[in-house]
Amino acid sequence: MSTTTAPPEAEGDGPGGGAPVRRVPAWRRGLRPYLLSVPAVLVIAGILYPFALGAYYAFLDYAAVVPEPVFVGLRNITGTLGDPVFWSSVRVTATYALAATAVETVLGVGIALLLFRAGLVGRLLERLLILPLMIAPVIAGVIWGLMFNPQFGVLNHMLGLGSTFDWLSEDRALWSVMLVDVWIFTPFVAVLVLAGLRSLPREPFEASDVDGAGWFYMFRRLMLPMMWPYILVAVIFRFMDSLKVFDHVYVLTAGGPGGATRTLQIGAFQNSITNLNFSLGSTYMLLLWVIVFITARYLVAVLGRAQRRAAGSED
Amino acid sequence: MSSLELRGLGARYGRKTALHGLDAEIADGEFFVVLGPSGAGKTTTLKCVAGLVEGATGAVLIGGRDMTGVEPYERNVAMAFESYALYPQKTVAENLASPLRSGRLGTWTPEQRGARIGEVTRTLGIDHLLGRYPRELSNGQRQRTALGRVLVRPADVYLLDEPLSHLDAKLRAAMRAELKQLSGMARTTTVYVTHDYQEALALGDRIGVLREGRLVQVGTPAQVWETPADAFVARSLGQPETNLLEARVHRGLATTHGGGATVALPEEAHGADGVLLGLRPRDLRIAGPSAPPDGAGRELTMRGRVVLVERLGRSRELSVDVAGRTVITVTDDPRVREGDDVTLAVAWGRVHVFAGPAGDGSPHPPRVGSALPVGGTR
Amino acid sequence: MTATRRPGRRRFSPASAGADLLLVLWFAFSLFPILWMVLLSLKSRADQTSTYFVFTPTPDNFATVLSEEGVRLTGVDFTGALLTSLVTSLGAVLLSLAIGVPAAYAAGRWAYRGSGDIMFTILSFRFAPELMVIVPLFVIYNQLGLFDSDAGTIWVLQLVTLPLIVWILRSYFQDMPEELEQAALLDGYTRTRAFLMVALPLVRPGIAASALLAFVFAWNNYVFPLILTGGQNPTVTVAVTRFLGGGGQAFYNLTAAAALIAALPPLLVALSIQRYLVRGLSFGAVKS
Repeated sequence: MSTTTAPPEAEGDGPGGGAPVRRVPAWRRGLRPYLLSVPAVLVIAGILYPFALGAYYAFLDYAAVVPEPVFVGLRNITGTLGDPVFWSSVRVTATYALAATAVETVLGVGIALLLFRAGLVGRLLERLLILPLMIAPVIAGVIWGLMFNPQFGVLNHMLGLGSTFDWLSEDRALWSVMLVDVWIFTPFVAVLVLAGLRSLPREPFEASDVDGAGWFYMFRRLMLPMMWPYILVAVIFRFMDSLKVFDHVYVLTAGGPGGATRTLQIGAFQNSITNLNFSLGSTYMLLLWVIVFITARYLVAVLGRAQRRAAGSED
Repeated sequence: MSSLELRGLGARYGRKTALHGLDAEIADGEFFVVLGPSGAGKTTTLKCVAGLVEGATGAVLIGGRDMTGVEPYERNVAMAFESYALYPQKTVAENLASPLRSGRLGTWTPEQRGARIGEVTRTLGIDHLLGRYPRELSNGQRQRTALGRVLVRPADVYLLDEPLSHLDAKLRAAMRAELKQLSGMARTTTVYVTHDYQEALALGDRIGVLREGRLVQVGTPAQVWETPADAFVARSLGQPETNLLEARVHRGLATTHGGGATVALPEEAHGADGVLLGLRPRDLRIAGPSAPPDGAGRELTMRGRVVLVERLGRSRELSVDVAGRTVITVTDDPRVREGDDVTLAVAWGRVHVFAGPAGDGSPHPPRVGSALPVGGTR
Repeated sequence: MTATRRPGRRRFSPASAGADLLLVLWFAFSLFPILWMVLLSLKSRADQTSTYFVFTPTPDNFATVLSEEGVRLTGVDFTGALLTSLVTSLGAVLLSLAIGVPAAYAAGRWAYRGSGDIMFTILSFRFAPELMVIVPLFVIYNQLGLFDSDAGTIWVLQLVTLPLIVWILRSYFQDMPEELEQAALLDGYTRTRAFLMVALPLVRPGIAASALLAFVFAWNNYVFPLILTGGQNPTVTVAVTRFLGGGGQAFYNLTAAAALIAALPPLLVALSIQRYLVRGLSFGAVKS
């Protein structure tokens, strides 16, 4: 075995040579991540500026019909908080977010469990699971709008409801737009939970299988605690997004009839864009933002606890 | 080819201090082994030399030049990572070619590169794997590829992090011999990190024993073996581990708990309340009719009963109960059985005395010297 | 896939047949509207309101929607909208990649002071009510002349694409062993070259998946172009809704055809990146 061939001499100015070495001071090394983040920070600033401006509008009297914006302090906020129309929007939004999230979570977990246990049929169907999720919600709204149509819509025809049943009447509209939400977003919960199920460790289940534990017991005592973090991630995304729902609701009902589906974002849209009362719209958004912010803080804290507990139970 | 010097080298990860001011001078061409258990800071030491640790304090000098603030790619050091760190999207040949292609090590024609890679991979026994990807290799093959990526290139310092840990025992022995030769030929200053004392003793020109971020002892293999700086070093080297017997001190004599043995202490240990007596299992012999204990008191003798015999190939490891303490020894005598009463004998000079300052409960008291004959001090 | 048993898997039984039935029911509900859209898009104008399942299919609607005739009939320039959507979605994704890859790398590689703040501010864009930003932008864009422009849409779409790309890529960079790049540094490569040689190829799947997913969400976005574009530069999502409101005349078959065309790119993308989808949808929180 020959290992004697000498490598060619290095020609560079390595430290072994006599050339000066280049030094990078510690503070410049520490600066590197900041330099890499500069473009992102600029974009953040560019987005935070209108955001702050929007918050500021809530303290002005600013509308297309008002020639010069006037600072009015908390008057918009107190006015809005005393306005039954606003509270009707809050009620609609809360009902929508809670009900849609609950239904989607239950259905999504159920579908994930079924797909997890399923054989060949499930394997094939699984590929199609996310199709509704990938279609733009507004287009989903358009499709369902066509299907909901009392005269020629396919739903009334197939379900034998005749041509007088109105899916989008004042007392049904909210539930109908929720149905569309469930159609779009249940797969979101299902794919997340399914990924969680597949990442579960196998040993605890085999152990309890040997012990003769029933399926339900395994689900409740073993699977559910370990699944909580995944379910919670899905719930957080769904709930936060439902609070600011707009697209398919707007295209289906535009907030009507009679405010039955006037969620906070649709209310803000009507105030700001339809009526060009920027201050009133911004006040809606500021209040919604506060709700979103508080909810997010709470849910993320819950998620953190669940993740720690799941990690503990896996050990 | 350069000397390497560490001056007060320190490193922290968050609140945890990984290195507490290491000082070491490693001569040009020296093969320096850092020995220590996991978590002692071995890898961190190598990464500090390579310039990969942000916020390291103290200084690293390569060829006498302070490397503070010098980027890793301008230090001209090569490192084999314990995690291999092979580029997953490159073949073995491309992995090995990577340092030669960087342009910092002179210009290599493809032929020169191929010749050099061929040479190194033949030595490492991986020349048949050149076209494979890292994911298609066994751990041992990956480790040799990582080693190859170091050996293929000229460098001022080689840094090898447990480069043999994932090889099987037979291959490890062969590679150990091969490595010694390779480094001898390349004459490149090498810092070699391991937790295996046999590797350290076999390979090192000198050994530095690292414990909890501190260099406890630096010396030649013989020095470290024969005069371990403290009880920790004594226990780190040798298998079975050195016996450490607690002993009470009274008037310059140390008596083990249970009274199995009494030795006279060197002057330096007289002030201690208690000492540890270190006995290497292979220094102990079983005194029998054919080899009676030395009557003239030139040896320490202990009477005990064999409680356990374990075969280790040709030799046997014995657990001997000496007045309630277990003492491990190794013998080639096949006649010793469990339950036998035996006399253990060891030369006075082979009894290491470890003593902390009075009242110091340190788990690793320093060595103060060898035991003296009991009769000699009376 | 191996044949080893997963927790919860059962052999054939009436219960498992029932489970399969439930699944089939869900998928019937889930796929029916898509099927219906396809059927409607193939109907002639005469069939669009009367026949439900039996009719003579015709591909004419697609041609009509994409041609001058569609513009004349409905007043909607759908081809133009497709182009606008393509330009703005691509532009938004590319801009986000250019900004997001370095930021994600910095956040994934170093725990520097302030990185958490930057990351969470970016994430908050994902959850902020869109109109909070749109209303002032509506005013600003009108002043700057960005209203109804591609550049204006690309800028506002950063709210959609940037959080997605930065968060997904950060999780990929965090998963990448640091020692690979360190090895490259010691091989003599500068930090930039080490990044390009080692880090970038390893996160390429992540970049591709996050870019494609960001493209889908940019393409599917409705509320931004609804308010910040007008007659010149509507995107497909806005254009599709305009088929419904055209001067008292109902073109349901054309609407369905346009909706199908608009839904096609996201559907194709979704099927192509299914493996990476979960990680993307959860912003890197769920890895699979």
